[in-house]
Formats: sequence, structure tokens, C-alpha cells
Amino acid sequence: MPPFKDEQIIIIAPGSETTVAQLGLPESFTPARLRVRSRMFPAQKEGEWEPYKVRRRQGKLAAPAGEPQDRAQNGEVAKTAIPDGDEDDVLYEEDRVSEEGAVWPIQEGRIVNWSCFFALITHVYNALNPPFHTPILLIAQPVWTPKEHEKLTQFFFEKFKTPAFGMMDAALATSWAYGVHTSTIVDVGKDKADVTAVSEFIPHTQGRVISLAGCGGEALTQALLSRLKSKGFTREMCEQLKKSPICEILPPDTPLPGTREASEPDNITNPAAAASTGAAGSGPAAASTIGNAPRGPGADTEVGDDTGAEESEGVLDVASIVTGGRMNEYLAKKEKEKQEKAAAKKKGGAEAAAAAQARPVRLPNSKREKATFLYEDHALLDSLKNMNLGSVKLAEAQATLDEGPQKKAHEEGADGEPTSALEANGNAEGPSMTSRAGPIRREIEVGTERFMAASNDVLERIADAVHRTISSVDEVNKRSELWDSLIVCGNGSRVRGFKEALLATIQSKYLISPSSATIFTSEIPSNISTPAGTGANTPQPQLGPHGGLGGLGGPSSQVNPLLYAATTAQTQHLMPPSSNLMMSGMSGISHNMHSSHGQTPTSIKFLKPPEYFPEWKEVGFDEATFLGAQVAAKVIFVVDQGQSKGYMTRPDYNDQGPTGIHDYSL
Amino acid sequence: MNIPNSSTAPAPGEYAGDEVSAIVLDPGYSTTRAGFAGEDVPKSVCPSFYGQIDADSSSQYLFGENAIHTPRANLQIKNPWGADGIVEDWETATKIWEYAITSRLTGTKPSDPTKNGLNDGTNANGDAMDVDMDAVENQEKPLEDSPLLVTEPGWNSAKAREKYIEIAMEEWGTPAFYLQKTGVLAAFASGKASGIIIDVGASHTSVTPVLDGMVLRKGVQKSPLAGNFVSNQIRLIFKQSQPEVPLTPHYMVKSKTQVDAGAPAQAIYRNFDVPPTDSFRRYEEERVLTEFKESVVEIWPGPGRLSNTGNEDIAKSMPGRPFEMPDGWNQVFGAERFRPAESLFDANAAIQDSENPRPKDEQTIPRLVQAAVQHVDADQRPLLLQNIVVTGGSTLLYKFNDRLNYEINSIYPSTRNKLIAPGQVVERKYAAWIGGSILASLGSFHQLWISRKEYEEHGANIVEKRCR
Repeated sequence: MPPFKDEQIIIIAPGSETTVAQLGLPESFTPARLRVRSRMFPAQKEGEWEPYKVRRRQGKLAAPAGEPQDRAQNGEVAKTAIPDGDEDDVLYEEDRVSEEGAVWPIQEGRIVNWSCFFALITHVYNALNPPFHTPILLIAQPVWTPKEHEKLTQFFFEKFKTPAFGMMDAALATSWAYGVHTSTIVDVGKDKADVTAVSEFIPHTQGRVISLAGCGGEALTQALLSRLKSKGFTREMCEQLKKSPICEILPPDTPLPGTREASEPDNITNPAAAASTGAAGSGPAAASTIGNAPRGPGADTEVGDDTGAEESEGVLDVASIVTGGRMNEYLAKKEKEKQEKAAAKKKGGAEAAAAAQARPVRLPNSKREKATFLYEDHALLDSLKNMNLGSVKLAEAQATLDEGPQKKAHEEGADGEPTSALEANGNAEGPSMTSRAGPIRREIEVGTERFMAASNDVLERIADAVHRTISSVDEVNKRSELWDSLIVCGNGSRVRGFKEALLATIQSKYLISPSSATIFTSEIPSNISTPAGTGANTPQPQLGPHGGLGGLGGPSSQVNPLLYAATTAQTQHLMPPSSNLMMSGMSGISHNMHSSHGQTPTSIKFLKPPEYFPEWKEVGFDEATFLGAQVAAKVIFVVDQGQSKGYMTRPDYNDQGPTGIHDYSL
Repeated sequence: MNIPNSSTAPAPGEYAGDEVSAIVLDPGYSTTRAGFAGEDVPKSVCPSFYGQIDADSSSQYLFGENAIHTPRANLQIKNPWGADGIVEDWETATKIWEYAITSRLTGTKPSDPTKNGLNDGTNANGDAMDVDMDAVENQEKPLEDSPLLVTEPGWNSAKAREKYIEIAMEEWGTPAFYLQKTGVLAAFASGKASGIIIDVGASHTSVTPVLDGMVLRKGVQKSPLAGNFVSNQIRLIFKQSQPEVPLTPHYMVKSKTQVDAGAPAQAIYRNFDVPPTDSFRRYEEERVLTEFKESVVEIWPGPGRLSNTGNEDIAKSMPGRPFEMPDGWNQVFGAERFRPAESLFDANAAIQDSENPRPKDEQTIPRLVQAAVQHVDADQRPLLLQNIVVTGGSTLLYKFNDRLNYEINSIYPSTRNKLIAPGQVVERKYAAWIGGSILASLGSFHQLWISRKEYEEHGANIVEKRCR
């Protein structure tokens, strides 16, 4: 009997932004059940930490009457009144949404604040509420040093009294998720990217690019911010813009919509449809006039906006209006606006429907010059709360300011929106949330700036890192396989188009095309040098991919390679039909065509994610690391049972101390 | 606790015993290797090059792969090693080595244990953690709990050796230290106590005779004909070919298009407001040259030299190897690919121009070996020639061993000469480090460490006495 059961295993994968964890391995592996923002709030006593912001509130004691109800309604603003010893009317409330004053213990993958980090792990552990006999698998960031591994080992054994503890490199976990032994893993995190070449299940520590600063999701946000700052966008807005589907990274040198090149006819993705609708010449600018313009306040929108310049200018910073004491005024205005909008909708409903039908091709996002997204204004909510309004009034104000269509808000809430600031503890909170309780949503319109998230060289730098990583792999013959099995994961790469743009960048810079000088003399015979099962052809490192019969030495080198190819081909039972070779040979068909010499890459490909994880297919494989961790946990704790030292047990720890972990971790 | 001196053996386990906490540091011109003793590869391999940005008053230093490959205005790439194969800029060298150790091995300086969280929550549980916190207490210096073994080139000066121990003891606060020559360690890595070690690195080629684990100091030979020299030869070939071969590093290219062999490149180049410095460009060009060395350059395997009659014709008749530059320019290199490295063996074959004079004959590898063997007693020579250990990154040049074998056999036709060249690339590149890792993890090595007490008692020149 295995020492551990599936349902006992804990997996924790800390990250700079989000820490994911799970207790128990389901029958079919699922994305992590527990997602926690990787931050804690300093408690009153120094060195202690709280998982949520605790707000001190000068509450009138009238509030508690409405509170129980309130709590039932509001899923996430749980208020706990802790009577303070000295003052009776000081209230503390836990604010689960606010991030004010939070401390993030992991930065660029490094643990910078250990006490905070340990508090975070403890919080995660307690949230999972595990039984006593629980092995733990920790996913280690590549940047953690061996000394830090020891420290962590000590912490887990001493604090949680865990019976068994294992540690696994994040990149290795990803390769387990994909079920491949050799791959190049690009893990794009919050502030950094890691690039690791894993060959034969062993990550290459030399030359591995660890924690490449300024190449994560945050860099994308900052790029957006630098473009949009002049338009009054805040960092938070850019962050949400980045996560919205309208933000997209276009492949390098794609003209932006609205620029001259973009409206040239050859840029229409669907010429046939365009021709039939006659929208060909229209371009995005024209398209926006036929009903794509966003509804909402601000200039250039559809519904009657006779707002003055003063208003449209301040529209982004509602929070300051609210706190500035002009709230009631503003609220009234918004209310009116909403009614008008509703009326306009009703009136124009039929027409609009007709118009929508007449518009057969909805332009893809990348062709539209402008688009809108729903912005969840936490800052506004925060400032509302700080004003000490009564809960009823607060809800009212919230409802008035909220522009998100109710239904939509519900939908978004339902699918959990994993990146939102809400701490979705399981799925419990998502569906029960009413739109009113959620953050205030507003529609914000952005222009082509939304395509410029990667404008600060992020892609180039990651591409260079990939090149460096693979070039530093000593086994030259492994390199082309590494190029052919790229994996991009990490939530920083979630931005639409990121992976494709990265691949395009790498290809345009590093791909080696077959040389016109050797195309006929070497491409074919080099394929034939594929080591056969018989081993007949194996010891021929001379047969480079392009190099042909380099150093056979003596007379044999003068043999016409084509002839040589033809004669040796007969012994090759593994060889694909030669017609195939010719067809696909240009892009480099097999890894083995690279023997020990020759330049790489001749082809660059993404690895296909595994097919057999239905739950993961839906959400995407950005967190493949966690999937790999589940696979690994199953293997090391249940299948292997410690025979190959996949984890450290309590007795091992007692014998060897924290330094022993190096003999056990994967 | 007894106070160790030079005559008493330390108690077992005193210097962390067989645990992996001893650190082995193997600094080289191109990369700096560091790792824990007892492991089979260095965990940390950092470039020895560093970036420097001069601001008005102070300079900013950049260390590590991630920092020095991004083009930035006024970023200069420098190297602390001098032309003679001895560290020149000690201050920066110290920082680079410290970076190599802390970034991937020990982590940055740990915080105060009372605040680092390891001790938190013990009171809440009621039972205190039974962990010895002494080891991690008051850490301010990076290496306070790790003994350190450092490698040095065989021709290191006495002053430089003292500097090593000063850095380790004063700046890093290591509890114990030892200095060993790369030659001996490379021999250990191959399991030999005696032999001739041919180490072809980036800046220098050295030949070290080792007898019973001791370097014969007089016999140590070095020459600058090594990896960087080959790169330079490639540059000259590019420059002298008609038309000139353009050497464009990756960072300058935005995207490339396929062109016919020999046709001018049609790439889109990147524009820089402030063009990166020459030293940065040179360093990035070196990456391309490394790729060229890996995929094109070949050493004429013998018999005879490339210049011998007929050999050039054979070389010409061999199919060429194509190479594509980062900007898309590509060409097939036929007989030219034998030329850059030929001068490692034959000074006459060196490509020269006004700035790059012909190397001296005695700088070639066969002559170095000959000179080294000359310093050894005649009756020991056969023993050494049976154990010729080949190490260093530049020995990975294609067919290097074939040629070396041929050359040595033609000098010493009557002895049994045997080349020991690990097939594993890692073992070849990091042989000295691996030897250090083996040595420092041996139980019997404990008595060799120079402890902090001894250092304080005798001063820095204790290395001269203890590390021979």
C-alpha cells in the first residue's frame, strides 16, 4: 500500500503575483482550486501578518444593526467587529478586496521578505485545512538558491510537521505537464521571465536564464501605462486593460489599425466577405462609425453625450470627484445618463438589431481602431468606503456608478475571473456574488495604444534569452530538438497574441534558412545520417545538417553525396519516404538531421499541449506548471513511493537536517 | 573546541564534514564557475565579463548574463583579467565572484534570523523549534558558513595568491580556505595524480606537468594561443576575404530575410539613439564567433600540417559548411574553415596583419608540450606521456584531439602516448572545477584547509606555505 493517498497530497506553487495550491489530487487533474494573491498585510505587531487588509473604522454603533444582512448580501466584504479594549466604538473590518499597504514577499521570483513569505504559506496551508498525514510538494522558483531550499525545507518540517516534503523546479514541472523529456520552457511571470532548457528531464543549470528582470506581465502593464498616462490612465486601469481581451500583442511589423498601411486592401483578412459586403474600403475608421463605437460617457460615443470638456476630461478619475465632495452632484448626473441610455436603447433597439444583422462581419479586435473594456474601479470603492457611508448608501452609490451590464457582470463573476483581485476561494464566492456587491465597473475606451503592450523590447529580450539559453546547452545535437519544443507558460504570457508574437520575433531573428549553396548537396544526405536502430549510421558526426560529408577524410569524401544517399538509403528502415523529405525538408523535418555540427535553429516550434486534460483545455495551459506538479505529486508520492528519492520523509529530515533536501528534490 | 594549528588535525566534521556546504570557485577568463563540493557540475556558471556604465560621479556595475546582453547607452563590457592570465582588477573580480556565489548558491545576504520568519510561530505552537540557529546568526558576509576552495592558474604570482586568501577571509568571511592549481584539479577530475595537463581556455593555453599531485612549477608553460586567439583569426579571415564578410551581432538585427549565399544581407536593423559602445559590440560579436566555432571551424586532423603538399587540395575537396550570420548573410566555408585554428599547431599558418603579428613558434601547442616535458626528469617522462589530460572549452574544436594526437606522436614516436579527453562536454569544460569538487569533498582533505585562526595568526603569506 502506498504510504500516501491521492487526497492527502498538498501542492503549493508560490508566485510573485498569485500563489496556487491544492489539497488532494482529483481523478482528472484540474487547475488549482485555491488561488491566493501573494501578499500579506502587516499586522499591528511587527513581524506578524494578516491575510486581509484590516481597516480601522470610526463606526457609529448604529451600523451593526444592518450588518448581518449586509454580510449575507456581500460575499466578499466581510466585516468583523472586534471591540477594542480601550475604545468601545472603534471597529475593525476585514476588507478582502483592498490591496492598500500590501506587502508582496516574492519579487522577481526571489523571496525578499521571509517572514511575510512564511506567513503567506501558513495562510495557504490553513486555508486548505489539511488532515494530519499530508505530504507537501512545493514548486520552487528557479531563482531560489540551494541555501534557500534548505531554509524552506526546515520551515516545512518544523512548522507543519509534514510527514514528507518534496521540492520541484517550476520549469521541470512544466515539462512534466507536457509529458516531454526535452523542451525549452519560457515562463513569463509578473516581473521576470525564466528560460530553461530541459533535456532528458534534467534542467540545464548552466546558461539557464533565471529571473530576467523586466520581462513579465508587469512590464507589459508599464508599457501600456507609459503610452496612456497622458490620457489619464492609472496603473490599475492599464493592468485591467491588459487582462481584457481587447488588449492584444500583434506580431512584429503588423500595422496598427488606423495607420495608413492598415487600410490598404491587402490587409483585409477576409477579402471575400469584405467584397461581398462592400466594406472593403471602409477600414477600421469607417467601421467604427457603423455601430462599433462604445456606449458610455465621453466623446465620440453613440449615446447622446452633450457633456462638456470639463466632464470628459475628468471622467477617468471618478474617485477624485467622489472624494472631492462633488459626489451627490455626480451621482445624480450618472443616474440621469443611465436612464437616457436605457431609453435610447429601447427606442433604437429595433433599428440596432437590424443594423447588427446588416453587419455580417464583425471586425476582429486587431482591425478596430478603438475598443472599450470594463474597468473595475477598486480605488473608487476604497474611497467610498473610506468616507464612512452607511452600508445602504454605499450600495446605492455603487449601483449608480456601476456601468457594467448586470448580466455581463454576473457572467464574469461566474467564470471566476481568476486574475481578478478577488480571492476566489474555490468557486464558492463567484456565482453567489451579485453585481451590486462587486467592484464598480465602468467602461473605458482605448485607441491603438492597446496594441503596444510589448513596445518596450520585452519580446526581443525574451527571444534573446531563449537564444542564449539554447546556445549554452553543451550537447550541440540537442539544440535543434530544444528549438522545436518551445513551451511558453506563466500568467504573464496570457495577454492575447503574446505567444504568437514571441514566436514570430524569435523566428524573424534567429531562424536559419537553408543555404542556397548547399541545398542539394547536403540536405538530403544529412537526413539519411539519422541514426538507425541498427546503429549502422550512428557514428557519423561528420554529416552535418548543411555540412554534408565534412570530414570523412581521404577518398570517401569525394563521393557524390546524392549517390551516397541513394546507396545507404536502402538500409534505412526508419526513413520516411523521400518525397516527404523534399516537401518538408525546408523547415527541417527531424531533430536528428542535426548531428554534432551545424547551426541551429532550422525550425522553431511550440510544443502542443497535452490533449487528455479536459479541465485544463478550457482554461489554457498558462499554469501548466501546476498541472505538472500534480503529475509529479502522483508519481513521487503514490506511484514511486519514495524509491527514487523523490521526496524527503520526516525520518530522513531528522537524520540529515535541511541540507539533506538536495539528495531528494527533483 | 580545540584551537587548530598547523600540526593538529581538525576534528571530523569541523569544517562541515562531507556535507555539501564547501564551495568551489573556479574563475576563468570567459566564465566563472562556482558550486558546492561533492556535486558533479558547477551550479553557477557566470560570465567573467561585466558591464560598466559610467555616470557623472559613480559607475554602475552590471553582473551576470541577464544584465550584460541588453544594449544600453554607454554600457561598456570589461573583463578583470589581465593579458598575462592573472587577475588585474581585483576589486571587480571580487564582485563578479561574489555574484557567482551568491546569485545561485547561497542567496543574497540573509536577514537577521530573529526577523527572517524561521522562528515565527513557534510560541504559538507551544513547542520551540529545536534548531541550531548559531550557524545562521549575524550573517553579514556572504560566505560565513562555507569553506572555500579556489582554483588558480599555474603561473599565478605570489602576490596574487595572497590576494585570493585576503578576499576570502576578509571580504567574504569564509571559515576555511584553500588554493589549488587548475592543472592538478583537472588531473584529479580524470582520476590521475600524475600527467601532463593541456588546458586550452579562452585567453590562455597552458601545459602543466603534474607529478603525484604536485605541479612542477618550472615546467608550467603558457601561451596566448587559445580560444580568443582563434576568434581573432576568424575576424581576420572575415576581414581579408573578398568581399569582406560582415560580422553583425544579433542585437543590431530586428528581422532578417533569406538571401542567396554570398549575397548582401537584407535585414531590418534596429536603431539606437545612443549606439552601444565598441566593447559591447565586440562582446556580442563574440557570441556569433562562438557559434561559428561550434558549427563551422574544424582543425585539420592530420596527417601532416594543413600546409603540407596535397593537404590543402584535400581540404578543398571536402564539402563546405554553410554559416548564416544574424543578419541573414550566408556562405559556404570550404577550406577556409581549417585555417583559424591551424595556427594553434603551426605558427606559420597564422593569419597576420599589421596589428596581429605572427605568433612565435614556441607558443604553439606541440612546442609547449615539448618544453613542459623537457623540464621533467627523463625517467618520469613516459609516465607523464601516458596521461595527457586534455581540458578547456577550446579543446572542443572539432577534430582537436585527432590533431593533437598526431602532433604528440610525431614528437615522441617511441613512447606510449595516451590522450585522456573526457567525451562529456561538461567534464571537458569544467574539469578543474570538478576536480576541486572531488578534492574538497574528500574526508582526508580536511587537514589541508587553512582555517581562519591560522590566517589570523600567520597572515596572508600562509598560502605560500600551505598551498603548493
